[in-house]
Amino acid sequence: MRHKTSFADKLFVFSNYTFFVLLGILTIFPFLNLLAKSLSSEAAVISGQVHIIPVDLQFGTYKYVLQDRMFANAFKNSVIVTVCGTALSLFMTSLTAYPLSKPRLRGRKFFILIFVFTMLFSGGLIPTYLLIRNLHLINTLPVLFLPAMVSVFNMLVIKNYFEGLPDALEESAKMDGASNFRILFQIFLPLSLPVLATIALFYAVAFWNDYFMSMIYINSPELKPLQLYLKELLASANNVFLQLDKIDVDRAMNVSPQAIQAASIMVATVPILLVYPFLQKYFVKGVLLGSVKG
Amino acid sequence: MKPWGFFITMMDVQQDRGGIVRVNPSFFRKLRTDVIKDWDLYVMLIPGIIFLIIFKYTPMYGILIAFKDFNIFEGMSESPWVGLKHFERLFHSRDFAIVFRNTLLISIYKIVFLFPLPIIMAILLNEMKNMVFKRGIQTVVYLPHFLSWVIVSGLFIDILSTNGGIVNRIIVSLGGEPISFFMDKDWFRTVLVTSAGWKETGWSMIVYLAAIASIDPQLYEAAKIDGAGRFRQIWHITLPGMIPIILLMFILRLGNILEAGTEQILVMYNSIVYEVADVIGTYVYRMGLGQQDYSFSTAVGLFDSVVGFILIIGGNYLARKFLHRGIW
Amino acid sequence: MRKTLTILLLIVAMLAVTACGGSGGGNDKQGSGETAGPSTSDNNQSSKNDNNEKKDPLSGEKPVLRQLQPFDRFDPNAEFTAKFLEEKTGYKSVYEMLPEEMANEKLNLLMSNKEKYDILRLTKDQFFTLAEAGALEPLNDLIDQYGPNLKAGISEASWEAASIDGKIYAIPQAGTGNYASSSLVVRKDWLDELGLKLPTNLDELYDVLKAFKEKKKVIPLVWYGSVLQEIASAFGIYNSWDVVDGQLYHQSEHPRMKEYLAFMNKLYTEGLIDAEWPINTGTTAIEKFTSGKAAMMKLAWWSAPSVVGALERNFPDAELATLPFLKDENGKAGVGINTGITYFIAIPKWAPNKEHAMNYMNMKLEEDLFKELVIGQEGVHHKVEDGKYFPILPAFDDLNNASYFLTGVDERVYSTYWQARVRKDPILYNYFEELQTLAEGLFVEDPMSNAPPIQSISEHAQKLAKFSEDTYMRFIAGAESLDNFESYLAQWKADGGEQMVNDARAWFASK
Repeated sequence: MRHKTSFADKLFVFSNYTFFVLLGILTIFPFLNLLAKSLSSEAAVISGQVHIIPVDLQFGTYKYVLQDRMFANAFKNSVIVTVCGTALSLFMTSLTAYPLSKPRLRGRKFFILIFVFTMLFSGGLIPTYLLIRNLHLINTLPVLFLPAMVSVFNMLVIKNYFEGLPDALEESAKMDGASNFRILFQIFLPLSLPVLATIALFYAVAFWNDYFMSMIYINSPELKPLQLYLKELLASANNVFLQLDKIDVDRAMNVSPQAIQAASIMVATVPILLVYPFLQKYFVKGVLLGSVKG
Repeated sequence: MKPWGFFITMMDVQQDRGGIVRVNPSFFRKLRTDVIKDWDLYVMLIPGIIFLIIFKYTPMYGILIAFKDFNIFEGMSESPWVGLKHFERLFHSRDFAIVFRNTLLISIYKIVFLFPLPIIMAILLNEMKNMVFKRGIQTVVYLPHFLSWVIVSGLFIDILSTNGGIVNRIIVSLGGEPISFFMDKDWFRTVLVTSAGWKETGWSMIVYLAAIASIDPQLYEAAKIDGAGRFRQIWHITLPGMIPIILLMFILRLGNILEAGTEQILVMYNSIVYEVADVIGTYVYRMGLGQQDYSFSTAVGLFDSVVGFILIIGGNYLARKFLHRGIW
Repeated sequence: MRKTLTILLLIVAMLAVTACGGSGGGNDKQGSGETAGPSTSDNNQSSKNDNNEKKDPLSGEKPVLRQLQPFDRFDPNAEFTAKFLEEKTGYKSVYEMLPEEMANEKLNLLMSNKEKYDILRLTKDQFFTLAEAGALEPLNDLIDQYGPNLKAGISEASWEAASIDGKIYAIPQAGTGNYASSSLVVRKDWLDELGLKLPTNLDELYDVLKAFKEKKKVIPLVWYGSVLQEIASAFGIYNSWDVVDGQLYHQSEHPRMKEYLAFMNKLYTEGLIDAEWPINTGTTAIEKFTSGKAAMMKLAWWSAPSVVGALERNFPDAELATLPFLKDENGKAGVGINTGITYFIAIPKWAPNKEHAMNYMNMKLEEDLFKELVIGQEGVHHKVEDGKYFPILPAFDDLNNASYFLTGVDERVYSTYWQARVRKDPILYNYFEELQTLAEGLFVEDPMSNAPPIQSISEHAQKLAKFSEDTYMRFIAGAESLDNFESYLAQWKADGGEQMVNDARAWFASK
C-alpha cells in the first residue's frame, strides 16, 4: 500500500516540476526576446530576425538610454514616488484595516460599505481634477501618491487577513492592559508579514507602473515619471501614421528606433521586478508558530 | 444577530404593549460605552475616513454629469439637465445588444477559466520543496504582468501568425489547416482569454501564496500524524485556509463583471471580429472618437458601476447566507 | 495612554508634512510675473505708472512666456533651440507638453480651468474645439499692431483657414510645402528575375502581383489600412475630399469607392495582398518586407533609411525600385495632398501676456532670425550650394527639434530651408527626390485643405472615418459582402455623414 502511494506521489512531484519548468519557459520568453532586441542592431530588429539571442550584438542602446537626461530624471521621479507612496500607503491601509476587522466595532458595516462604494463609484476625472487643482497639487510629485493612499482593495485584503488571526492573541494582550494601538503595532503587524509583503508589492508595482495620473496632472517634462516617459517613447513610434490628414513629418523623421525602445523597457521594468524576490523572504510559513500557546 | 441597521441590533429594540417598536432606553448608553471603550479604534479610522471624504467623496458629484449635457467649458452649473437621455442612447444604440452580450460572455469566460487557475497553481507551487526553484518560478511566472498589452498583443500575433507563426506550424505538421486566429470569429475569444491568462495568472497567484504561507504548519503536522496523504492535506487544510481570500477575490471580481478587458481588446481586435469581440468599453470608445462627450462616457461608467455594485452586494449576501462569511 | 497619544501625534504630523510637501513642491507657475534671461530690458518706467500716459503694453521687462505644446519625447526647455530663442529675442519661454494619449482631454481640462498659458500650439481638432468654445482670443488687432512679419510671411489662404467669420483665432502654421510622402516600392531584383517591368497601371500591377505569388511564392503586396492611396488614386480617389465632375464628394461617397473596394477584395481573395492585412501594422509590414517575405510594400520617405538598411543587411543583393504613380483607364495619374495647416498657434483669452506673446512670435519670423532658427548659421550648421541648403553634420543635429519651436513659418522661404533636413541622410534624400520627380505635375489638392472650422465636420469626421475604415476592411477581407455597401453608406449618412457633406458643400460653393 505504501509502495503504491509513493509511486503516485513521485509521479505527481515529477509532473509538477515539469509543468512549472514549461510554464517558466513560456513566461520568460518575451523578456528574453526584449532583452535580445535591446542588444541587437536596428536592422535586425525591424526585419524580425531577433528571437532570444541578440543579433549583431551592440550596447549602444543602453548607453543611449542611460545617458538620456530625461530618462535618468524620470527614473528618479519614479523612485521617489514609489518609495514614499508605498510606505505611506502601507501604513494608512493597515491602520484603516485594523478597526474594520473587529466585529465589535459599532458601525462597522457602514464604514466598510462607504469604502467599498468608492471602489465602484467615482466622480470621474473632471471633479477630481478640480479638487487636485484646489489642493494646489497640480504638477507636483505628491499628486502621484497622495490620492492613492488607501486602496480599498488592498485594505480589504489586509482586513481579511486580520480577521483570520486567532482571537486569543487580542484577548491575552488586553488582559495585559494593552491599548488597541499597541496590539496593532506590536502584535498583529509583526504576524502579518506575508500579507504586508504582498500589499507592499501591490502598491509598489502600482506606483511604479502608473502613467495615467502623471499624464493628467503633470505638465512639466522634468516631473514626468518613468512609465509615462516610456509609454510616450513607444507610442510616438506607432502613432505617426494615425493622424487623419496631416502628418508632422519632422516628428516622423525622429521616431525612436525599436532597439532603443526595447532597451528602455528593460531599464524601466527591471528595478520593480527585483522587489518581489526581495519580499519573498516574508512569505515564510509558520509566522504564527508559537504565537498562541495551546 | 440580525442587524436592523448599521448601529442597531435586535437586542437594542423591543416592542411595547402598543405594538410600537422602540429603541431600548439603554441603547444609547450602551452605544456610548462601546464607542468609548474602543475609542482608539475610531481614532485609527479617522485618517482613512478623512482621506476617503477628501479624495473620493468630494468629487462624487461628478456622477451627475451622466444626467446632464455636460460642456466642460461651461462647467457643472451651466450644463443643462437631460435626465436619462444618455442611458437611452446607450441602450438603443444599434449594436448594444451584441456588445452587451459580448461583454458578458467574455467576462464570464474569463472568470470561469481564469479565476481558479491562480488558486490551483498556488497550491501546486506550494507543494514544491525546493525553495530556490520555487522562488525562481514565482519570479519568472509573474513577469508577463509587467508587459504592456501592446507588446503582449504583438507577441501573440507573431506566435499565431499564418505566416510562419509557431502554433500554425505545429498544426500544419500535424496535418491540419492553418488557422488565422486573430481574424477567426470562432477562435478570437479563446485568444483573448488565453493571452489574459498567460499575462495575469502569475501575478494573481501572489495573493494566494501569501494566504497559504499563513496557514498554521501545526495543522499539517497533525494531519501527517493522522496518516493523511498529500491530496487529503490539500483538501482539508490548504483549501479551507484559503477560503476567506478566495471568497473576497471572487466577490470583488464580480464587481468588475462589465469590464471584459477593454485595454486588451482595443489593442488586439480588428473589424473582422467585431461580432464576437466588441465589448461595451471598445464600442463606446469608437462612438466617442473625436468628440469629448463626457456625459455619455460617464453614463456608461455609471451603468457599469451600478451593475457591479448590485452584484457585490448580492454576492456578499449569498456568501454570508451559505458560507457564513463575507466582506462585511 | 501616552504611547497612544504619541502615535496619534505622529500620524497627524505625517499628514501635515505630506500636505505641506504637496503644496510647496513642483513647478506650479501660476503667473508669469517673474523675469529672467540675459536681456537688457530693465525699464524703470514700469514701476512708475503715469496715469495720464497711454501705457505701451510692450514696455517694461519682458515677462516669461508660458507655452503649451503637443507631445514629444525630449525636454524642450533643455533644447538648443530654446536657448537660442531666449538669447535672440530676449524672451524666456517655459514649455509644457500635452501627453501623447488623451491629449485633447487634458487640453480641455487645462482650458476649462483657465490655466495661464500665453501661447498654445494646437492641432486642427484642438483648434476647432477651443475656437468653438470661445476660449481663444481673436488676433486681428494684435497681428496688425505687433505682427508685421507674420502678416508678410503667411498667405491669405492660410489666414482664412484659421478664421471664423472674419476673426482670426490662430496663427496658421503651414506644413513644409507640397510634397509626395510615399509610394509603392518593389524588389527590383525579383522583378528582373521574373523578367517583369515596373507596372504603370492597375492591370499591369495585377499581373506583376500574380507572377510574384505563383512563381516566387511570396506575399505579393503587404501593408495595412483599408484605403491604400497608391491604388485608390487609380480610381480617382485622391483625398478625404475630392471634386468629381464639378461636385464635392467625401471619400466615403466617392462614385468609384465601391469599385475600389471590389478590386481590393479581388486582390485579397486571390492572395495577391497579405492575408493578414487586417491585423498588420506599419511595424509588422516592414518586418515582412525586410525579411524577404513580401515583394512590394508602401514606403514613406522618412522610413527609407531604416527599411533600406534592414533590407541590405539581410539581402545584400536586394534592389529596390519605386513604382510610378499608377494611371487610371484614361492614362491619368494623381497624387493626393493636403495643403492645409499643420499647427494652429493660438492665444487663450485669459493669457496674461498677449501683446508680448505676439511680439515674440513676430520676432521669430524676422528674416535672419527665422533662417537661423530653422537651419542655423551658414558655415556652422548649413552650407548653400546652387541656392539649395545642405546640412553640416554633426552640428546640424542640434537643430533636429527646431521645428517644434516654430509658431508660424515664413511660407515664402520655409520649404526651401526645410529641405536641408531631408538632405541629412543620403538614402533619405535620394528617395525623397525620386518621389518628388515622380510626382511632378500630378498633385491633386484636397479641396477642403484650408476650410475653416466647420462644426459638423469636427464633430463627426473622426468617428465616421473609423467606421468607414472598419467597414471597408470587412469588405476587402470578405467578412462582409459588397452587396451591403449601400446599407453601409446609408448608415454613414445617418450618423452625421450627410450633415458633414452638406455643410462642406455649402462652404465650398461660397468660395
